[in-house]
Amino acid sequence: MVLRERLLGCLAVVLLTAAFAVPIALSAKPPAQGATSSVSGRVTDNGGAVLPNAEVSLVPIVPAMPGMKMTPPPPIVGRVNNDGSFTVAQVPAGQYVLQVDAPGYGRSSQEVTVPTTQTFNIKLEALEIPGAEGPEAAAKPAPTDAQAMQQKINELEQRVRDLEASTVYSLPETRTRRTTVYIDKNSNIYDKPTPGAKQTTTYQRERVYRRQSIDEKIQSALEEQSKNSVQVGVSAAIAPQAVFQTKGEKTDADRHAYQLSSADLFFTARIAQHTVFFADVVGLSGPPPDLETGGLTLLNGFTARLVRQNELNLREAWLRTEVFSQRLSLVAGRLDLTNYFDHNAAANDETRQFLSDALVNNPALNLAVNGSGFAAIYDPKNGFNFKVGIQQSKTDALNLSQSMYSLGEVGYLARPKGLGEGNYRVWYRTDNSTDRYKTGYGVSLDQKLGVQQVTWFGRYGSAEADIRRDRFYSGGLQFSNGAGFNPGDVWGVGYAHYDTGLGPKERLMEGYYNFQISEKFRLSFHLAHVLEKRPGQQTVGYLIPGLRLQAAF
Amino acid sequence: MSRTRSLVKLAIVVATALAGTATLAQQDVKIADPTSVVMIVNRDSNDLAFMDIKTNRIIGRVFLGNNVNPHMVMMSPDGRYVVTGGTRANKAYIIDVRTLKLVKVINVDIAPEHLAFSPDSRWYYQGNPEGDSISVIDMQSLTKIKTIPGFAEPLNVTFTADGSKAYIGNYGAHWIGVVDVRRHELLKKIQIREVPGVAILDPDKYLGEVHGINIAMFGPDGRYLYAADGDLGFVGVIDSREDRVVKTIKVGKDPWRIYMSHDGKYGITPNNGDETISIIDLKANKVAATLEAGPNMTGVNFAAGKAFVISSTSGFVYVYDMNSLRPAGRIRIGLNIQLETATTDTQDQKLYLADSTENAIVVIDAKTQKFEKITENVGLFPWGTHIMDSKDNYCH
Repeated sequence: MVLRERLLGCLAVVLLTAAFAVPIALSAKPPAQGATSSVSGRVTDNGGAVLPNAEVSLVPIVPAMPGMKMTPPPPIVGRVNNDGSFTVAQVPAGQYVLQVDAPGYGRSSQEVTVPTTQTFNIKLEALEIPGAEGPEAAAKPAPTDAQAMQQKINELEQRVRDLEASTVYSLPETRTRRTTVYIDKNSNIYDKPTPGAKQTTTYQRERVYRRQSIDEKIQSALEEQSKNSVQVGVSAAIAPQAVFQTKGEKTDADRHAYQLSSADLFFTARIAQHTVFFADVVGLSGPPPDLETGGLTLLNGFTARLVRQNELNLREAWLRTEVFSQRLSLVAGRLDLTNYFDHNAAANDETRQFLSDALVNNPALNLAVNGSGFAAIYDPKNGFNFKVGIQQSKTDALNLSQSMYSLGEVGYLARPKGLGEGNYRVWYRTDNSTDRYKTGYGVSLDQKLGVQQVTWFGRYGSAEADIRRDRFYSGGLQFSNGAGFNPGDVWGVGYAHYDTGLGPKERLMEGYYNFQISEKFRLSFHLAHVLEKRPGQQTVGYLIPGLRLQAAF
Repeated sequence: MSRTRSLVKLAIVVATALAGTATLAQQDVKIADPTSVVMIVNRDSNDLAFMDIKTNRIIGRVFLGNNVNPHMVMMSPDGRYVVTGGTRANKAYIIDVRTLKLVKVINVDIAPEHLAFSPDSRWYYQGNPEGDSISVIDMQSLTKIKTIPGFAEPLNVTFTADGSKAYIGNYGAHWIGVVDVRRHELLKKIQIREVPGVAILDPDKYLGEVHGINIAMFGPDGRYLYAADGDLGFVGVIDSREDRVVKTIKVGKDPWRIYMSHDGKYGITPNNGDETISIIDLKANKVAATLEAGPNMTGVNFAAGKAFVISSTSGFVYVYDMNSLRPAGRIRIGLNIQLETATTDTQDQKLYLADSTENAIVVIDAKTQKFEKITENVGLFPWGTHIMDSKDNYCH
């Protein structure tokens, strides 16, 4: 009997010891061995009310080692008693962060060094979470009238701060979403798969708790309006040029000045998913030098747009849609196929680069007019692209069959060793606008050299002519990306060589410097020299200085 | 006898109670391993969601309060706290990682967005772009100890490895602020390049909304910082020992910011002005490639030897092979959606992309370029993601 009592007594002692030891053993792993002491204090809220059962933690501070990651040691945990006091015993000496947490209150956190004789008086501040439900909201005791009043004042102060900080809409924003639902034969809607109901999509407005500032709201409204309206763009150019004859018998063009002004109006509208409508109306005015120099290629590339002086003409009007995850673009309407093919990065744009058409296009393409057509561009964005297109090539043809121009191109983005990226293209075309099919082929490349500021470009083309083949090549360099006076300036030099099967030949050189004055305005200086040789005639040479003022907005 | 039995009963009761407390304490631990979760900041449901990396399931959520609109989430380097700035509440929110409890809300300046921790986890710098200031929060006392004024739309903070200095990108200006972290004071302003003289002729651009410097990021050696200026179209290389610009590199139009590849070879700027990316060779400090990309790019992640460029409004992620520096296709995430930013796991295998309009997280396998959309219980309008120790933790 005595033995049993002793055994029971021992069990009680063991249990009590274990009871107190277990939490410490579970939670406390001292950062350092040695003597221990206790940390004590009192925890209340701002109004002085005690917060029994609040959790007190001593988190060991581990010095940070750059580049080393360590698992943070577990904290030593205690609880606040009913009278608001707490004591965390058996704390090894060291540096800790003393943390106190209570539901509905913000954490108190401070650095302490143990051993310490200090008694910590800790006040916890209420943690406001507007709209919170569940434990955070429920855990807080009901406020007294004074506390409620104070809370209201705090809320009003916060509201005033918000208003001062940033004027915001207090109404929740809404947004329309595409959602999947399930509909049965009675048109009942279920959010989840339900027997007898089939999956369908619908659109529904949802309310979101987001504040928008007035700035943001205006901005998004303007963007929305802009997205849904027709975008109008303008590209206008004035290109004065002078011609000085340098070789051959004197011609009408010698010492004459010219000026061609061009204005393009672009209209773009998004009309369906991945589908846009585009139209370009162009008007030109003033004489270009080409009417008097009569060369094989145009000395002013804008002249190619000239149909009749001082009249507006529809240059392009097409629809473009993108299918197969936007890998395939289909364009149909009145087109300029040269916009999609032989798109040389350094010599393809008379509005920004060379002015002479021989350094803008490849004459072997032999497509002088825009017309009804179709183009398909397959671009999987892996460096390869494939293009095919057909277009009416004669405006006076009675039907498309009589003026079918077709073109195909394969493009590849390469990185030759030691060089930057380069675009390489091979194209082939056929044309039945004369009495028989004529073919042509060519290559086009633009290759960035070791430094990204310099791009080497080149073209070659061969076209079937009435007697022999027309042959063309051109090449040159473009300097950009900070290789000028201003970061946005571009300049270049180029040479073009054109031998026609019928005999006439042309050699052309041009240099230009294009200043970027503003985002919308550019000024460029051009100097070209051309030699025209015709069978049985003296070679004629012209020096053509020129300017180009280009505005685009 | 009865006294002994009473003592035993008392011991059992006390032991049960205390053991219960200990068990409760164990149960309260929601996240034992801070590296095991993807943190998701949900702008419109005003909360942070925690997704288990292994199961892709949401295992916890912390609600911050209505109309808080949190912007960026980040975990402290010691794994103890997760913090976020509530942009429309003008407050910083501190969450205990183990328990996933919101433990502190601190008033900061106007519209807090991006933030950073000092490497020792002591200081949490909260940028307030509309307040033109940085709020300094002491993570030991969990109090705001200072507001550093004098910035112009401070977007991002980068600490030096030793934690002595912080570099602040000012998107509303063309300079980087250098802050002395010991005193929490602005020491210096570094302009990466002069605004060109011709700017006077272009008031629409230069007197309009400034697209300045988003962030300064350290290169692989930890000495040189790289910072892109949007309006100027240049990346400046800054020597952090002397705090001076040693080189400028012309990139595409309107570069958003620079992102560093994990192997330290390249930096990429997504150029929203001309829809290209510029790949900068960090050894030669020159552009190695300029490649076509998409519209409205918001971020770049690196994994499996590739770069993944997020084109926010197109619904595509553009992929580039970082060995050949050539395009490697693009991943179509969806139609009529808006993509935000992504984080990469620490093994450089998976990306976790926030798909805000679908309330989803898109998990992309970097090797196969296939993806899975996690939509269950994510939250509304996920704006960004974060994984502790990921090399691609950023926001927009």
